[in-house]
Amino acid sequence: MAEQKTILVADDESHILNVVSLKLRNAGYRVITASDGQEALDLAVQEKPDLVITDYHMPRLSGIELCRRLKQDAQTRGIPAIMLTARGYHLDEQDTIDSGILQMLSKPFSPRHLLVTVNQVLERVAA
Amino acid sequence: MTQTGTKLDGPPETEMFPAAVLEKLAGRLRPTGVCLALMRPDGTLFYADPVAGAFFTRFAVPAVQQNAVLTEKLRRLNAGAPVVAFDSLPGILLAAAPFVQRKQVLAIAALLARPGNFRLGEDVLQVCGRLALDAQWLQHQAESLAPYTRETLSRQTALLAGMLQDQLKLAGMEAELNGMSEQLANSYEELSLIYQISGGMRVNRRASEFFRQACNDVLEVLNVRGVGVVVQGDGPSRVDPVVYGSVTIPDGLLRKLADQLLAILSARKAPLLANDLAADPDFSWLSGCAGRLLAVPLLRQDQVLGCMFVLDKQSSDFDSVDSKLLHSIANESAIYVENAVLFADVHGLMMGLLHSLTSAVDAKDAYTCGHSERVALLSRHLAQQLNLPDAEVEQVYMAGLLHDLGKIGVPETVLQKTGRLTPEEFEQMRKHPQIGARILADVKQVRPLIPGVLHHHERYDGKGYPSGLSGTNIPQMGRIICLADCFDAMTSNRTYRKGLPLEVALAEIRRCAGTQFDPAMAEIFLRTGADRFRELLRNHAEKSKQLLELQETLRTA
Repeated sequence: MAEQKTILVADDESHILNVVSLKLRNAGYRVITASDGQEALDLAVQEKPDLVITDYHMPRLSGIELCRRLKQDAQTRGIPAIMLTARGYHLDEQDTIDSGILQMLSKPFSPRHLLVTVNQVLERVAA
Repeated sequence: MTQTGTKLDGPPETEMFPAAVLEKLAGRLRPTGVCLALMRPDGTLFYADPVAGAFFTRFAVPAVQQNAVLTEKLRRLNAGAPVVAFDSLPGILLAAAPFVQRKQVLAIAALLARPGNFRLGEDVLQVCGRLALDAQWLQHQAESLAPYTRETLSRQTALLAGMLQDQLKLAGMEAELNGMSEQLANSYEELSLIYQISGGMRVNRRASEFFRQACNDVLEVLNVRGVGVVVQGDGPSRVDPVVYGSVTIPDGLLRKLADQLLAILSARKAPLLANDLAADPDFSWLSGCAGRLLAVPLLRQDQVLGCMFVLDKQSSDFDSVDSKLLHSIANESAIYVENAVLFADVHGLMMGLLHSLTSAVDAKDAYTCGHSERVALLSRHLAQQLNLPDAEVEQVYMAGLLHDLGKIGVPETVLQKTGRLTPEEFEQMRKHPQIGARILADVKQVRPLIPGVLHHHERYDGKGYPSGLSGTNIPQMGRIICLADCFDAMTSNRTYRKGLPLEVALAEIRRCAGTQFDPAMAEIFLRTGADRFRELLRNHAEKSKQLLELQETLRTA
């Protein structure tokens, strides 16, 4: 059996955390959660998750800044990220490259689609 | 006989006390040297910490289970009883408290411990004999455990009852939260699908294309074997009944299904759920193709415009969640269908008006019969060659139709004069772009056409009218129509002269590229070639002739 992958989910809206955690846990992932960017950064450094799913707008540290910091740290550089944004919000392409974001999903996202994306990203990273 | 890891069967307890809760609680108590045990209201044991250590699993728990006197005493504990400690059991200390909800004893929570005064007395040896345990081994096991007194164990048991209550409540809340998150996830799914579908709801999109996309979206989200759509009646939103997915329905049956669904849904105006088609009197004939069906009407103001249906959900029956989701999508689609009908009506009305206006202009100037229509056609052709987006091509066509609209304001004597115009007459003639633009300015919907009408007599070198604009300062629409207009003026027959051969006209356009015409645009125009132009114009002439004949027949009928 493959080793259980850990996913860090960061969002200041608890209902998003609940839905995403539930779906990911049901799919067999280990899930750790953070409700702001700083907490997420600390957890990421401590736990070295296989993937980070983060909201864009968060208190203390924004999602994009979180990704940038992860990219700067040699220990966490390789962790891929999926960013959740408000619908209609577009990130600069350069921004997404600089901060190592692999996928963007706009809210309200389809949880089923999120799961597909998570699987794809993890497969791509493993390959 | 002996039961270790005691988790006895019986559904009520396992439902009331989830294994995960008991394990968590037992785990917290274990380090204090006690063993969690739970009894039914009749005093019989149904749970004991299975990893509490050998003293408990092999000695204390089996001994308690076999002690009929203790069982009877526990049975008599009533809802109001405090914690009771039993210290007369051989080698075991047990404290028990009734676990009460709504004044009813649901279970008895108990802790087992090693008594402070444990020693291998006659009674303990007897139990050892019965359980086939070595007394020295038992002594050894007991010594490794913390000794308890009645009082300390009672206090801990009192705490236990509260903890158990809290843990159960927490577990209930967790289950509820998961349920709510599951519902929320479904809502997200629904919302995101609706966003996706309404994003594709541009009215100028073909209906079949819209529904293909919508059906495929549903196919993905609902995990069904087939998604289909049926739209009533004719018109722009008309689509033949169609089904997407892995399910195959022969054409004849699909038509039958469409008719039957429309008939049923028109009457009930609510979703139709048939999870066993074989047994359904209305749909048993479909059971060779699918086993389950869910259909929802496309409703607009109580009128059934059509329906959407899904076939064979993978792994289970259709339920109210599916129905609700499909219903939302059907509502969105119904808006699309209604809009498409309205859009087509308005568009038809507008085009009808434009053609009438054009005929009015052309009627005034008999020499230029059909000129406006041909300029529109040629302008559209050029716009397409220029790779303009569909919406702009359409606008160029309309502006082409209307380019000479202003001639309505020019006296017929001037328009119809075959000889040279006097400077005054020429001045009157030169006003027609502005007159046309002024007429259009009052109608919001045709305002985007004004640049084409106003500037179709500008020249690339700036020597045209009315504004004397030059180069690409001339609106693109004006440059397009200018080319088409001049080309048709040269090639069409007038009552007083025959038109130039196409090849000659094209050579003239090449000669004037850069002075009269936008050279890049002229280049693209010329690429079409004389033969293709001939074909275009011949097709157009045939169509107009048929139309004229039809009008003639109608008039004489």
